[in-house]
Amino acid sequence: MTEDDALAAKGAPSEKGQARKPLIKLDKLSKHYGNHTVLDGIDLEVMPGEVLAIIGPSGSGKSTLLRCINYLEPPDGGHVTIGDISLNAAAPAGRSELSTLRRSVGMVFQSFNLFPHMTVLRNVSLAQERVLGRSRKNADERSMQLLSRVGLADKAEQFPGRCSGGQQQRIAIARALALDPDVMLFDEPTSALDPELGLEVLAVMRELAETGMTMIVVTHEMSFAENVSDTVMIMADGKIIEKGPSADVMRNPQQERTKRFLRAVHDR
Amino acid sequence: MSTADLFAILRGLPWTVALTLGAFLVGAVLGVPLVAARQSRILPLRFLAMIFIQIVRGIPPILWLFIIFFGLGMSVFPISPFNAALAGLGLIAAANMAEIYRGALASIHFGQWEASSALNLGRWSTLTDVVAPQAFRVALPSAASYLIGLMKETAVASTIGVSELAFQGNQLSQLTFRGLEVFALVGMFYILLSLPVAWLSRVADGYLQAKVAR
Repeated sequence: MTEDDALAAKGAPSEKGQARKPLIKLDKLSKHYGNHTVLDGIDLEVMPGEVLAIIGPSGSGKSTLLRCINYLEPPDGGHVTIGDISLNAAAPAGRSELSTLRRSVGMVFQSFNLFPHMTVLRNVSLAQERVLGRSRKNADERSMQLLSRVGLADKAEQFPGRCSGGQQQRIAIARALALDPDVMLFDEPTSALDPELGLEVLAVMRELAETGMTMIVVTHEMSFAENVSDTVMIMADGKIIEKGPSADVMRNPQQERTKRFLRAVHDR
Repeated sequence: MSTADLFAILRGLPWTVALTLGAFLVGAVLGVPLVAARQSRILPLRFLAMIFIQIVRGIPPILWLFIIFFGLGMSVFPISPFNAALAGLGLIAAANMAEIYRGALASIHFGQWEASSALNLGRWSTLTDVVAPQAFRVALPSAASYLIGLMKETAVASTIGVSELAFQGNQLSQLTFRGLEVFALVGMFYILLSLPVAWLSRVADGYLQAKVAR
């Protein structure tokens, strides 16, 4: 593969510029809590294989945006399109529509949310059996592959409570991957971890990005945003302030709000 | 006191056990639809369940037995003392168990529901695979102490003529005029009955806790 092909395969903005279809498309997506506007008409396109980092001050709506994509929080205006499925937020979503949408989206939470009463293996296998209808044997095989991939095959028979935070988050990543999603959403995946444990999670995410997985990552990890993601988007007050190739946005931001945010992060 | 007296009291034991376990079983089973209604998205259903639970728990157990046995039993349909007591205590147990279930459900972290949604688990799977097993663990100690409380509560059935422990003790004390010894013995039986329940609950809790290690 030439470098160009690799870029194209990864979905990064290609020099050749052939018209490619975005995997995720948000049109005028909005969300309100009472009178408070959390998301103010977000337009966003994510190409297949693109890794998008969303950064910004807390309360800017970045987590809500992520949670609106798989309708964990239903948006109240606009459209969410993932692949061939398009949901109109103004109309109540039917259960089968929601299920189809969620089939293609995997999600990783800040607080892992593993099932504490099941073994690690069971955590990864359960949804494969219930949602994809795999047999226990096939599900467990796939789970073991994924657990090996995140370096935790030896923890399969343990309960999550016996694992470190970093290990739990890697298990949660394996659990989400087990359903073969088209896109992975990460909601501050390392914020609940001390820096050292965060690194092992970031390493798994970097590896995942290299395999061409489409990823949207809400994060405070500036080095991940700069070095791993293809695109960085800055949010504040429910709006997109700036979005572009990660190196440009991180090193040469155009907007005053972005500069202020990045300065605050660097000054810490 | 003679051995015959002891056996006279012991004759009440099976009734106390049957009434306790029967009412608990009725309550544990009926408590499920009741808590489902109590948590339902349909407002009138939720409201009805709430009112029902309030009324059942708001009236003293002895009065419920009177209502069922003397009230319904004498005028609407004939009912045996044991069945009346089973119905009354079962009803009360259902309301109480529903509240125990509700507390257990509320203790489940919302992240567990969110993870289930994100994994696209259906509502049934979320409930039976994820939420119920965790809620069960939370409910277990309260359910066990409620079971012990219910066992003592069954003594009210003596007032409508169920020949359980307290009833037998009362009979015997009137025959022998040795109330102190008789009722001390009856009391001892209640304590003996509660011991295995308390022990089992602790063992089960310890086992579940060790498994999850949290």
